Amino acid sequence: MVIFTSVNKRQMSTILRISILALLFIMAFSISAFAQTVDESVFRLDRFTVLIFVLVFSSAVLLYTNWARKGKELFVRKIPGIDAVEEAVGRATEMGKPVLFIPGISDVEDIETIAGLSILGRVAKITARYDTPLSVPVRYPMILAAGQEVVEQAYIEVGKADAYDRDMVKYVAGEQFAFTATVNGWMMRERPAANIYMGAFFAESLLLAESGNAAGAIQIAGTARPEQLPFFIAACDYTLMGEELYAASSYLSREPLLLGGIKGQDFVKVIIIICIIIGVLLVSFNIGDWFVNIFRVM
Amino acid sequence: MEFWRKIMNIDRRWVYLLIALSVTFPMIVVIKFPVEVTPVARQLYDAIDKLPDSSVVMLTFDYYPNAAAETEPMSIAALHHMFKKDMRVVTLSNIPLGGPTIAERITREIAAEYDKVYGVDYVNLGYKANYNAVMHGLANSIESIFPSDYTNTPLKDLPLMDSVKNYDDIGFIYVVADNATVDYWIQIVNAQYGVPIGSGVTAVVAPKMYSFVNSGQMTGLLGGMKGAAEYEKMVGEEGKAIRGMDAQSMAHLAIIFLVILGNIGFFATRKKEGKES
Amino acid sequence: MKKTVPVVVAFLAGFVMVISFFFNTEQIMNWLSVTFGMDSLHGKTMEGFVLQWVTIVSGFTLVLGVFSIVRVNARAVAKKSEGWFYKLLTVVSVFAMAIPAMLPVSKDTVGGKIVFGIFPDSWRALFGTGPTSIYDWLFTYLDQPMMETMFAMLAFFIASAAYRAFRARNAEATLLLLTAVIVMLWRVPMGEAFLRLFSDSLPNYIDLFIMNGFNVAVQRGIIIGAALGAASMSLRIMLGIERTYMGKG
Repeated sequence: MVIFTSVNKRQMSTILRISILALLFIMAFSISAFAQTVDESVFRLDRFTVLIFVLVFSSAVLLYTNWARKGKELFVRKIPGIDAVEEAVGRATEMGKPVLFIPGISDVEDIETIAGLSILGRVAKITARYDTPLSVPVRYPMILAAGQEVVEQAYIEVGKADAYDRDMVKYVAGEQFAFTATVNGWMMRERPAANIYMGAFFAESLLLAESGNAAGAIQIAGTARPEQLPFFIAACDYTLMGEELYAASSYLSREPLLLGGIKGQDFVKVIIIICIIIGVLLVSFNIGDWFVNIFRVM
Repeated sequence: MEFWRKIMNIDRRWVYLLIALSVTFPMIVVIKFPVEVTPVARQLYDAIDKLPDSSVVMLTFDYYPNAAAETEPMSIAALHHMFKKDMRVVTLSNIPLGGPTIAERITREIAAEYDKVYGVDYVNLGYKANYNAVMHGLANSIESIFPSDYTNTPLKDLPLMDSVKNYDDIGFIYVVADNATVDYWIQIVNAQYGVPIGSGVTAVVAPKMYSFVNSGQMTGLLGGMKGAAEYEKMVGEEGKAIRGMDAQSMAHLAIIFLVILGNIGFFATRKKEGKES
Repeated sequence: MKKTVPVVVAFLAGFVMVISFFFNTEQIMNWLSVTFGMDSLHGKTMEGFVLQWVTIVSGFTLVLGVFSIVRVNARAVAKKSEGWFYKLLTVVSVFAMAIPAMLPVSKDTVGGKIVFGIFPDSWRALFGTGPTSIYDWLFTYLDQPMMETMFAMLAFFIASAAYRAFRARNAEATLLLLTAVIVMLWRVPMGEAFLRLFSDSLPNYIDLFIMNGFNVAVQRGIIIGAALGAASMSLRIMLGIERTYMGKG
């Protein structure tokens, strides 16, 4: 497994990575073939389509990542919300006010929270560079631990280890509205100049955004929850929608390896669009049942 | 012109006052407009209604107490429907804060009206951490995840659970939720185990659920207090949802009035500024 | 080591969950238990082990949270900084709910014998999380009303946000405004009765074209995009390409 660490990453070719993935699947399949108690197929044939999709998706992401590593120029469109992050932090620095960052209110098992923590790392580097106070209230203890690590590392990388205070990231409350009430109160007292909400949010999204608006902060939000997007759009200055949240960390860092991941997922999106168009046409002419059945999963 | 500028930049506390008045007004003057049933709510009702009497239905209480105003009437109406049809109900919650307690209180209250016996006609499994493990585990064996119910009675001592071992013995899962838990029920239980699912969700979550109803992954949907009111009407049990419709109507009208006022002010000030420039 | 181990753990955990989706891991575990004589593996699934570890680790991190909340607030109380009384209340509330809930309700355990050696037996109903416990009382009469109040505040905040945001500044904003007004009318009996003045089928058309038409299309687009983004991020985390969440650049 050491082949996946940063030490040997340069020596790894994309084809080798895909081969290892395929080999592991074949090994698992072989184990099942030799299984003594086989009343039904160990390999779930009804999910074969999903397997093909996973392999295509993985290959696309890894191929683009490999091309990015080799120096190929990858175009990623401008995302205004992410461009505004540095501007927002700059505003906070000029006003002498803190930056509030909330990495969502879900636990670490939610991929949006991981995306939020990745963005936190980038934002912490900016606040460290400008010596801007940073406040990161969190709802779960695991996020507390992860957030402190992320922020500390960011400050160390910028050479401002002394400026780091572990209480920048603080556990506020485990209950959704207790968390919201505490953060709202802090916002109204401290009047942060910039509020950045990146992660999974639920009913408290509008409470946070409106309070931030009342406090006069510039607000940038990003979530993949479609039901919370309207609230952020109404109350925030910039909103990252859906996958823009996942792209934000790569976009901020401009690291080729991460940008390659975004391009790979866009390639798969094109394939999905083509499948949708084909499916709509076939079903409209009443000859689409076989095509629809390809995508059924049980 | 100054008037419209003031209107455009009105202190938000006047807005709050208007909303407060619009919600309290129907408590004094009861209007009661008829509640019309939407197709998605009808679909959910029919799905339960078509099940044979004495089927086993799983009713989940996946909501926090703060959303109870919208979701509790849904749960109550659902229980009325199920007990009227002599269905056997298994309840559980994926929300640690309040979910199982609310389930216990409501099911016992409604069951008493129909002389239902705990352990024979209904069981409250309670809460177990890690929804992923719970939803996958119930497919194999309910007892492996919930060895005892909410009151710590072993499942083997509850006659209902003798015939309900896993999803194969459950005819329908009725999810009442205010968060993403309903997504997991669809992605894990319906997609991977094929159990039919219907849900009642808060009004904020409802627009997202339409895509699942459309694709057939979900059978029926109740959205917010209006959805609860529709279900109460279909079941024939007027409750908090129908009574709350007046207040919600007035609040919506107040917001529409504010939006119109704001836009008149916007156009009036823009026109005047255009003339001045 | 500090960099390698988390990446390896992330890969293995992710790989097991992916394998579990495509293979019946219970059969594989049964075969392994028969072949290598490991009875403890029989009837288990690979993903079950991973999920168990997640539950165990989550439980330990709860302790971290308590330490953090006590440390941050206790420091403010000791310094008598601004709002110190409310911070003291916070710390007291944490223990006021947690301690009675953790106390045993039965004399049969070692802890029970100690506790009921100190407290009278009649206090048993106050401990634990049962219907007559202190925990339940605090939750039902303090916590729950406060949560409901916070949620109810959304009604006021929505009104002020709508008043500020729903202005016909351009074509898109006008479309947003009109759709919002139509759906707000459609969603309440009074509004629906108003719409039926124009046409009896108008609410059905709104349901068909707006909710089941535009709304479903947009929601699906966002859901698919977000799902692909999540899958891409998960793949990058599994393969160790994305490591910023660990605090490593």
